[in-house]
Amino acid sequence: MSLINLTLIAYIVASVAYIAREVWMSVAIKWISLGVFILAFCFNLTWLIARSIKAGHPPFSNLYESLVFYACCTALVYIIFEFIYNFRVIGALASVLAMLILLYATLQDSSIRPIMPALKSNWMLAHVITYMLGYGAFGISFITSCIFLAVKPFAKNKKSNEVKKGNEISLINFDKLSYKLVAFGFPFLTLGIVTGAVWAKKAWGDYWSWDPKETWSLITWLAYLAYLHTPLIFPKMNISKSKSSVILAFWLLISFGIVNFTFIGLNYLPSAADSEHIYGSQ
Amino acid sequence: MKNGKQNQPHMTTEAKDDRKKTNQISINQSERRGSNKVWDFFCSVKLAVVIILVLVVACILGTVILQGRTLDEYTAKYGYTLATFFRITELNNVFYSYWFAFLLVLLCANLICCTIKRWRNTFMQTGFILTHLSLVLILVGGVVKFQLGVKGGVNVYEGKSVNYFLTQLINRQGKLDYVKKDLPFSIALDDFILEKNEPKFQLVSYIKNKDRQKILEVKVGQRQRVPGSGYKVTIKDYIPDAELKQEPVNTSDTPDNPAIFVKLLGSDKVTAEGWLLAHDRNYYEDKKQNLRVEYIWLSSQEELEKTVSSIETAHPKISVMISEQGLSQDYPMELNKTFKLEGTNYSIRMLQYVLNYGDRRPLAEQPTDNPSVQVEINGPDGSETRWVFEKFPDWDKMHPAKYKNLKITCSGIASGHMARNTIRLFQSPEGKQVMVSIKDNHITSAIPWELEKKYTIADLNHQIMVSNYFPSFDFKKEVIKKSDEVGMPAIFVEVEGPSGKVDDWLFSNQQYATWYTDNNLALVYESTGDSIKHFTSKLRIEENGQTVAEKTIRVNDPLTYKGYVIYQSSYDPEAGSFSGLQVVKDPGIPIVYAGFGALCFGVVFIFYIKPFLRKKSNKEVEE
Ligand code: HEM
Repeated sequence: MSLINLTLIAYIVASVAYIAREVWMSVAIKWISLGVFILAFCFNLTWLIARSIKAGHPPFSNLYESLVFYACCTALVYIIFEFIYNFRVIGALASVLAMLILLYATLQDSSIRPIMPALKSNWMLAHVITYMLGYGAFGISFITSCIFLAVKPFAKNKKSNEVKKGNEISLINFDKLSYKLVAFGFPFLTLGIVTGAVWAKKAWGDYWSWDPKETWSLITWLAYLAYLHTPLIFPKMNISKSKSSVILAFWLLISFGIVNFTFIGLNYLPSAADSEHIYGSQ
Repeated sequence: MKNGKQNQPHMTTEAKDDRKKTNQISINQSERRGSNKVWDFFCSVKLAVVIILVLVVACILGTVILQGRTLDEYTAKYGYTLATFFRITELNNVFYSYWFAFLLVLLCANLICCTIKRWRNTFMQTGFILTHLSLVLILVGGVVKFQLGVKGGVNVYEGKSVNYFLTQLINRQGKLDYVKKDLPFSIALDDFILEKNEPKFQLVSYIKNKDRQKILEVKVGQRQRVPGSGYKVTIKDYIPDAELKQEPVNTSDTPDNPAIFVKLLGSDKVTAEGWLLAHDRNYYEDKKQNLRVEYIWLSSQEELEKTVSSIETAHPKISVMISEQGLSQDYPMELNKTFKLEGTNYSIRMLQYVLNYGDRRPLAEQPTDNPSVQVEINGPDGSETRWVFEKFPDWDKMHPAKYKNLKITCSGIASGHMARNTIRLFQSPEGKQVMVSIKDNHITSAIPWELEKKYTIADLNHQIMVSNYFPSFDFKKEVIKKSDEVGMPAIFVEVEGPSGKVDDWLFSNQQYATWYTDNNLALVYESTGDSIKHFTSKLRIEENGQTVAEKTIRVNDPLTYKGYVIYQSSYDPEAGSFSGLQVVKDPGIPIVYAGFGALCFGVVFIFYIKPFLRKKSNKEVEE
């Protein structure tokens, strides 16, 4: 069996284990689910390493490789957050998300092709890695926002939508968690844009030329920037806390849609034909 | 233990904390400016969020509507009204429009005002100040680029030099314009080198009913499934440098595909030779010598004799049959003459004839592959025109026609248009072999022929010889290995599918796909093309005839001289004889890069360093 399929299966098993953990609340299952998830992540990473050795260049020269890398980064961000905050439900969805990204990858052309001269740069390396870590964080924040919106109606009576964690009560709310994830990812996104600009300057002579990919990455950045600034205006506008958190959660869903459009949807734009760095259908 | 406060977003918390402080500490300040609504407006986060959202919308419009095209292109794509609307609102040039510039100025004002308002000389504020001012720096740098920078391109031929470059812009009339800009030095191209990658090969599968293309692994011995289907493909052999040899072979003594090898000799030298296949290409034609050789296989000796004896009567004619009336009538081929069908109210007329249907060449140059006549039928329901084919007598039965009851066939068209010299080699299963020579439509001789014997062709100074006979002719495909290096690779592939196992050789230079028997799976083994690995230009900068700088540039590694940066951008795709350079001058770069640095450090500070320091100080307080 190919390593990609093995990774896919491991992610599926991990999400099942996470759900089991939800039902039985046992410490053993908690470690098993995390263990399987980490195993899936390791498979994912191993594939990437093997691929870059085989291809002789970093594993994000085309859409297929980038998607696998995207899945890997999403998993990594999840693992970091699970270690810091010890949360649960998200695990199942995080591995589903990673799995969906991988599944989408397998629909793409998987051939190894020689890379264009412009892609041979260390700035490209920094650019893609920071970007993907940012995207990974936004992916997980998408999940926490979904869960927030899903549990919100049922948590009305309680003071806040508290969730049980193992045997103790955690005060982490999903909206706060979303914020933390965005706060984790936003610097990566910013670094990604800046390194991308520097790379473009080196390769094409201009750090910014309003190319569709550039413009959409700016849109992504602005969307999350708006998310980070809006909490400052809600109190002034007399919008209640519970209402504002719903608005922000919705905004994160939209923003993640923008992320994915920037990543894979740009081919649908009329201006795509002129773009220097949209993944072509080759 | 984590506590609730700690988990709150830092930005919001601090904003609130600070607002309280501001209220207490700087009452004087706010009194001084208190009534100044304009100031408050420019400081507000509300304005910031509004600007950000408007920018988002502007950016989306700027990618959904094509930018910077000529007026004609807009009119062609969107129609006149929309094109005019775009021009007036500058939606055709969003990022360089006045309203977009206005938005950016507003953004700058907002950033500067809020930074001034919140300015506090505390270490914790570093991130806030850096990020907000960095954006101002980047925007200022952008203005400098727009005002003082230039960007253009120039093509230089090897061994030549240039002292200018061209910039592209859309002028007021909405047309594309090139403007020539002089350089304070000249660029000489000493050498241009194009490095290509080794060609790579891949096996592509295509599933027709799913319209799905996938690349399969080329690994000998491994059975793999074609993704998204039930087919299985096994590569059984691989030859890095293969050649296909097709050798004629005889597969059995049963004459199911009879063929003869014919040689034409002029003064004992072979002038032409080749296989004639009775059921396939059964003739050879030499238009220059006006000679035609035909190989005709007949199923029995009687038929052979009958055919040979009736050659001279084979004048071109058409036959008309009306089945329900039992009527059958032959007519000589005379063009444009109307024949009435006796006892009916039909009449027919022959309009034209050809020797090879669909062939546009004049009659004399057409091979007699598919002779046919165009016939016009007049009857009770009006007139109908149809083509009648000598070799496909049932054609009209299978195709829509007005007068279905009227069957028309034709014969002898080809022989009516024979080469001056025709040699027909007849053969039947019993071994009867007759060679008939026809000259100007008359038989000059009819003799038995034998293998390996030369026969003189009258008038032509040529001899004919049949040197071999295969009752069951076939090609044996043989793939041979020419060398061990990768040249023209070939793979031997076995496909398993709904109609069993099939195997075949696939060549990387093959023009067409190889289809599996169900015509749903196609395989192509192809080269991915010798893609470009690197292209480099050896440049020399000359000033007053003196070389002042030298560098070999490539993509990602430009040359910088006197504020101008010269990039490798393209090359002559055909001859590879010129190098496409991009010339850029941007005095705003240091400002922008300072902004980039401050921005990166600022965001890292706000979201990583500050929370970390906070946590630490909280712990200290707890202890
Ligand atoms: C990388 C980009 C940016 C980052 C990281 C950032 C960060 C921040 C932070 C952390 C604060 C809150 C200060 C605090 O509570 O300590 C803030 C406030 C603010 N930001 Fe930004 N910001 C960015 C870009 C912008 C932009 C583009 C604008 C719009 C023009 C803007 C306008 C404002 C305003 C008006 C405030 C409110 C200041 C106040 O409370 O008086 N920021 N920003």
